[in-house]
Amino acid sequence: MSVKILTVDDSKTIRTIVKKAFAPYDCVMAEAENGVEGLAAAIKEKPDLIVLDITMPVMNGIEMLGKMKADPQLKTIPVIMLTAESGKENVLQIVKMGVKDYMVKPFKGEQLLQRAEKIIKLEPKQAEAKAADPLAGVLKQDGEFSILAMPEKTSKLTIVEMEGIFGAKLPDMVKAGVSKIIVDLTRTTDINISLVKVLLLILERCEGAKISVRLMGAKALAEGLKGFSEMAEVPIYATLDEAKQAF
Amino acid sequence: MSGLDLKNMVRSGMKEVFSTMLSMELVDAEAPGDDLAKGLPRIVGSVSFAGKAMGCVNVHVPEGFAREIAANMLGMDIAEIEGDDEVGDVIGEIGNMIGGYLKSRFCDSGLPCELSIPSVTSGTDFRMEATNWNTHESFSFRNSAKSVMAEVFLKSINEK
Repeated sequence: MSVKILTVDDSKTIRTIVKKAFAPYDCVMAEAENGVEGLAAAIKEKPDLIVLDITMPVMNGIEMLGKMKADPQLKTIPVIMLTAESGKENVLQIVKMGVKDYMVKPFKGEQLLQRAEKIIKLEPKQAEAKAADPLAGVLKQDGEFSILAMPEKTSKLTIVEMEGIFGAKLPDMVKAGVSKIIVDLTRTTDINISLVKVLLLILERCEGAKISVRLMGAKALAEGLKGFSEMAEVPIYATLDEAKQAF
Repeated sequence: MSGLDLKNMVRSGMKEVFSTMLSMELVDAEAPGDDLAKGLPRIVGSVSFAGKAMGCVNVHVPEGFAREIAANMLGMDIAEIEGDDEVGDVIGEIGNMIGGYLKSRFCDSGLPCELSIPSVTSGTDFRMEATNWNTHESFSFRNSAKSVMAEVFLKSINEK
């Protein structure tokens, strides 16, 4: 069942970042630009979680939170406060008001997901298929190897999706016994900085989780990636067999 | 106010914001690059402080780099950025995060203050001037060949 998340922030940028962070999950997103709109949306939508900014015009987040806590219908809705201010007094004031958690800007979408998952259950989209196997659609199993097929073109959205998978879902992978991942780049034709960032993210996160990773792709792609200093020392195997033997 | 290490605060704040939100590395520079020269289009995100510390911080970004930053922050390609509003909102939010970073440190240093909502200015040939401030400092940064500048105007109410 979808969870409802309400983002209250006067910045479209932050609302977009929050929306993209939750995009891989079965969530219904609602938005409001200030505390007055936020209260109205909270009453109408009855969200499972509110991500609430502090500094906003018309009605700020502190005032909105105060009104929520005074309303029997709204007071139990969990709130994660977003603030650009990490000063001790500010943090103490937020904590005293009974928020579930708070995040100081700047923040990564992945950090927000980690906090949200402590409060609500996030299910990946296509919930039915993934209910039995949380990694279905992400990794294809080939014996002891897990194959991650990369798209033809990697965009910044891919980075967000991979941050979700290799952040929040990494413990699931470890529990599921994933220990050897082959990143299949055979369909990938577009070599860009987003692709490099995605590959570095996968390598770094998997190393931290003690999952071995090998890359597989065409010779032209391997040569193209070597043009990026961060990828110069990372071997790319031409075939699946070569990649398997390299573990 | 004189005990504040403004230089380190601004440099740390700028680098943290660019690194966390944009995966971009900023390095210190002696002066703004040619892309922030007078007459070239730029976008400025500003927030003000009011309280025991009074002032504002302005983050200047060349227009082309601002579009790149906006695309990066919104997870889009530059060509997908539809209008100036999106770019302005992102640069305003960058200014807000830097302002929040500084405000927190002012408050922790015994200078409690409030932060305004961000404002954005864009154009090709303008100068931002503020008077009656005790401190006016500019800090330049580079990301590859692209420039960013943070400008801080400040005074404490005890220094009127």
